[in-house]
Amino acid sequence: MSRLKSLIVPSVRCIVHRRYCSTERVTNALVTEYRNDIFEEEKRRQQGMVRRLEKIEVVHVGPNDPGTFIMNKNLSTPYHCAMHISETYTKYSVLAMVNGEPWDMWRPLTEDCELSFVRFRDKHPEEANKSYWRSCALILGAVMETAFKDTIYVQLARALELPIIKGMFVYDVDLGLKDWTPTNENLRSLSLSAITMKSKDLPFERLEVDPSLALRLFQHNEYKQREVEERVRGGRVTLYRMGKFIDIHDGPMMSKSSLVSMFTVAGIHELPGGLYRVQAISLPHDFYLHSSVWNKLVKRASVPLVGDLSTAGVDESWRETKSSAA
Amino acid sequence: MRLSLMLLITHGKRQRKLGGGKPQRLNILRRVVTGLVRHERIESTYAQCDEAKFYAERLIDYAKLGNTNAGAMRIADYWITEKDLIPKLFETLAPRFAEHDGRYCRLYRLPVTTQNTRDMAVLEYKGNPYPSLRPIPKNHPNSIANILVEGLRQDYEKKMEIDMKDQPAA
Repeated sequence: MSRLKSLIVPSVRCIVHRRYCSTERVTNALVTEYRNDIFEEEKRRQQGMVRRLEKIEVVHVGPNDPGTFIMNKNLSTPYHCAMHISETYTKYSVLAMVNGEPWDMWRPLTEDCELSFVRFRDKHPEEANKSYWRSCALILGAVMETAFKDTIYVQLARALELPIIKGMFVYDVDLGLKDWTPTNENLRSLSLSAITMKSKDLPFERLEVDPSLALRLFQHNEYKQREVEERVRGGRVTLYRMGKFIDIHDGPMMSKSSLVSMFTVAGIHELPGGLYRVQAISLPHDFYLHSSVWNKLVKRASVPLVGDLSTAGVDESWRETKSSAA
Repeated sequence: MRLSLMLLITHGKRQRKLGGGKPQRLNILRRVVTGLVRHERIESTYAQCDEAKFYAERLIDYAKLGNTNAGAMRIADYWITEKDLIPKLFETLAPRFAEHDGRYCRLYRLPVTTQNTRDMAVLEYKGNPYPSLRPIPKNHPNSIANILVEGLRQDYEKKMEIDMKDQPAA
């Protein structure tokens, strides 16, 4: 750990006095370690704050397997309840509904509640679908941060939330490059690393922290620092961690990365501001599409999506260049 | 049925042998057809059901001629052994299939189990009041795969519209 600190501390100093320091470089690997240290410390601190074990009553109100669980307050999560029911609930549940509100599978329960689980093949999976789409954007961010060599310092800018019918999710990244056009091999290797992440079966951990801690955590990324201020909800900010990748989002996210079945990075193109927009498409584990249909979907997702960062969000101002050109 | 010389000679319309001879065969078939008219869904051996299907469908064809037709009434009288079913044939089944053109029956094979090793089947008239034997397929219109394909379809329609607008101008 001390060796790690010695690695990190110069890098932090390097950011602060970048102009005067040319020997030390900030790399994504070092920044990831730095963020994980803070995240771990904060998580341990928050878990240590639960001094007394208090019990709460959780009623499962799903269509099957009714029951009541006596769980630990502020420690037990819906995932733990699912473990008490059966393995299929832990494997295939995307989200939990606590008193009718969407709730992360790894978020501790705080009071007596009614619990049910959502899957992709339910009658009304809208909440699960939304959480899947934004979780895939998070996976895309993790892919982009780990894919490049140490010579390129990747700064993730922002994941825009698009409706699923658009057929893609996007992440804007600052690569520090100019006029770079990725080859098909580049895209394929990016897709492959996403598939590797999927097969590792990583949970999406959730942590509510103070904005000042989030600012300290994202101090190597100017875009995320700006986002922290926008994401403050009631004086707290929500962080998500998948594997070693940490991102800031309101959530809720899906349960595990193994819920992804197909993941293809369709295209990367440069935005006017110098950022690169990465577009990808993915399919949950429950569904199968013929390869010809999938290829058409990938082709559709590779069409550049133009838009301004300031008008982020779901609206009709997003136009595809194809339709505007026609 | 097996491929055989007889099948070739009879243009693929070879009948099975049921029972011990011609009268027995007809009795079996009349019994099955009468049961079908009464219950609208019956379970029997596959061979009997398959043979009776042809006669049950022809019976409806005759019933469509109406109960005033002497030939139709003669056929109904011969094939339906329980005479209280004759009004049902003319007044319920014939109007139901007025729009249909043949193929009034459905035939399903039943799985072979250790209790019943014979090849069993279910024969039914279409439009019967019972629940379907086949599971109703679920469409999942709100699933991600279907939403993606729906988006693809909308794009295609938009493109076609633009093409249609361009053509008259050119």
